Amino acid sequence: MTLIGVPGRSGVIAVARRLAGHLARGLVMILVVTTISFLIIRNIPGDPMAAKYEKLVEQGMSPEAAQQAVNVLYGFMPTGSMWEQYLDYMKGLARLDLGQSLTVPGTGVSTVLMSAAKWTLIPVLAGTLLSFLVGIILGVYAAIKRQGKLGDLLAISGSLLHGVPQYVLALLLGAIFTTLIPILPAGGTADIMFEPGFNAGYIGSLVQHATLPVVTYALASYGGWILAMKSSVVTVLGDDFILAAELRGMKRSIIFRYIARNAILPLFTILALSLGLLFGGAIFIERIFNYPGLGLMLIDSITGRDYALMGGAFLLITVAIIIANIAADLLYTVIDPRVRSGGEAA
Amino acid sequence: MSVTSDKRAPGVRISDLSVVYRTPAGELPAVRGIDLELVPGTITGVVGESGSGKSTLALSLLNAVQPPGRISAGSVEIDGLGDVVALGGDDLRRARGRHVGYVFQAAQSSLNPLKTVGKQLLDLGRSHDVEDLPGLVKEARSLLDRMGMDGARVLDSHQHELSGGMRQRVGIMLALVLNAHLVVLDEPTTALDMITQATILRIIREVHEERGLTTLVITHDLGVVAEVADRLAVMYGGRVVEQGPTREVLGDPRHPYTRGLLQAIPRLVGDIDEARALPGRPPTLGTIPADGCVFRERCAVRMDVCETGEPPVLTQGPRIVACHAADMGPEAVTEPAKERQTVTAGVGDTPTTGEEQA
Repeated sequence: MTLIGVPGRSGVIAVARRLAGHLARGLVMILVVTTISFLIIRNIPGDPMAAKYEKLVEQGMSPEAAQQAVNVLYGFMPTGSMWEQYLDYMKGLARLDLGQSLTVPGTGVSTVLMSAAKWTLIPVLAGTLLSFLVGIILGVYAAIKRQGKLGDLLAISGSLLHGVPQYVLALLLGAIFTTLIPILPAGGTADIMFEPGFNAGYIGSLVQHATLPVVTYALASYGGWILAMKSSVVTVLGDDFILAAELRGMKRSIIFRYIARNAILPLFTILALSLGLLFGGAIFIERIFNYPGLGLMLIDSITGRDYALMGGAFLLITVAIIIANIAADLLYTVIDPRVRSGGEAA
Repeated sequence: MSVTSDKRAPGVRISDLSVVYRTPAGELPAVRGIDLELVPGTITGVVGESGSGKSTLALSLLNAVQPPGRISAGSVEIDGLGDVVALGGDDLRRARGRHVGYVFQAAQSSLNPLKTVGKQLLDLGRSHDVEDLPGLVKEARSLLDRMGMDGARVLDSHQHELSGGMRQRVGIMLALVLNAHLVVLDEPTTALDMITQATILRIIREVHEERGLTTLVITHDLGVVAEVADRLAVMYGGRVVEQGPTREVLGDPRHPYTRGLLQAIPRLVGDIDEARALPGRPPTLGTIPADGCVFRERCAVRMDVCETGEPPVLTQGPRIVACHAADMGPEAVTEPAKERQTVTAGVGDTPTTGEEQA
């Protein structure tokens, strides 16, 4: 008998069984989502050729020249029926082949996704984790000091920031820090004067360019965290076992840990899901700061009617959310003993 | 009255204790001018309806009345600890758990759901600077074994893996493991089935005798008091209306409220209609009358004086009754009703209690 709550053999088996179930369900979900998104994408009015044609005409090309250029560009367009295209697409997927991008001719969809993903993952991940940490800590304070001025102030700041739309926040911060007090660059990922690579100038420029998107993202999601954490802590504070621990003369630091650990538990679900959603990119923020992440790429692929790229982006988002769900569930079996024993309680 | 003569069992003297709760309507008294003595080595039962102030009284013993409530007057003297009302900060924290063990209502979950019982036991030990943690674990295990459980397994379990009766025994273990000799049990058998209730009561009785404790049991169930308590105090509307040795109070109740409570219990033999519920409802915090007797609205022997006069505290031997209508016989000592309108924190007017008379 040990005092340490290791999951043990039965725990490991339970986790493995859960994982297998999740993976099976996940595969079915991916199949359904890809089918639905295939149908939706192919039924959007307009097609890639029309979109490109319009774009070229807008750029000043004569209609005949534009038509010709488009014909050359899209000579490889599939001509089979919808059903044949669907089968082709699924066969490709089975070989993990997402097809060719139409808006970036000659490039595989997975390559385009990869290059956009790196511009989303790092800033949005940094923004999410930053706001999570700050929100959690301030949420605890807001809950403990909820009868004082500080608590009110924190809660109000949370509600305000939670209510302001991301794009308003982005425009506001952009206006302040690039125009009023021009200390930060307005867009892009790095100054072109620096050689991309592992050198101080380039990295400094990267950080400088990422600051506004990261801060905007963090501020936009901070309100949600502080409000969620506050209400969670208030709930736990009212729990009987906290009073019981007090009446047993437990040290404040230990009681604080009891509160924090119990209160943070429900927030892990939200964190895992928002990490999954992160692959959708921060569309407004990336557009406003012209940051070439997944959100911006998704918009471009939609305007360009890039079927393959759209399909790839949706697939990526789906897979990410499914994986995040599985991760959240498995995380609970580790951190919450009530989930671990799953109804086999004595 | 069976008194376990153990020197370690502390006596407790509650004098003129008042607790008020801050409400939008001002500070309202939940407990008013209570005098009660816990004789070392005895089990005292406090009975009363919901809202009678009995849980507030129990929390006062640890100076743990939760905001917006506060102890506004009086003292709680515990042998070896002094007046806990005057304690604060780390001294108070150390007294909780080590000197006074508190056992929660069984229906409540008094354990951290995320940690095993054993880990919480270690947290408790660390909080009280116990150096010999393995010794503490051993003590806990033997206490649990003593209460008819597999101690080692229980220490390795989380709360959700334990039944209600098991949780209650864990609660009792945690109250005793630091060697507290004053134990407060708040509704120890509420929400437990009959068999488990009987087991818990037997355990309370046995552990009380074995370890030489002074025990206070708070309950709404007269049956529980009859089973375990040596002495009994009946609370109504924040006051103790009658107290004395359990057998005497239950056998020959003097206060109309105590009589009403006993009449409301259905008997095993005889007509079910013989059990009569008390008319009316108990007062809430806002409706407790400020003057006169708190029970008069529901009283069968109500007189004019009950409206205005504080009931006199009548003492006869070990028994105390606060009622205008009570007849305590020729040798009763009548103490004039105390001035309770001005609530002062004086300890000077220590009342005459039954034990001192006996």
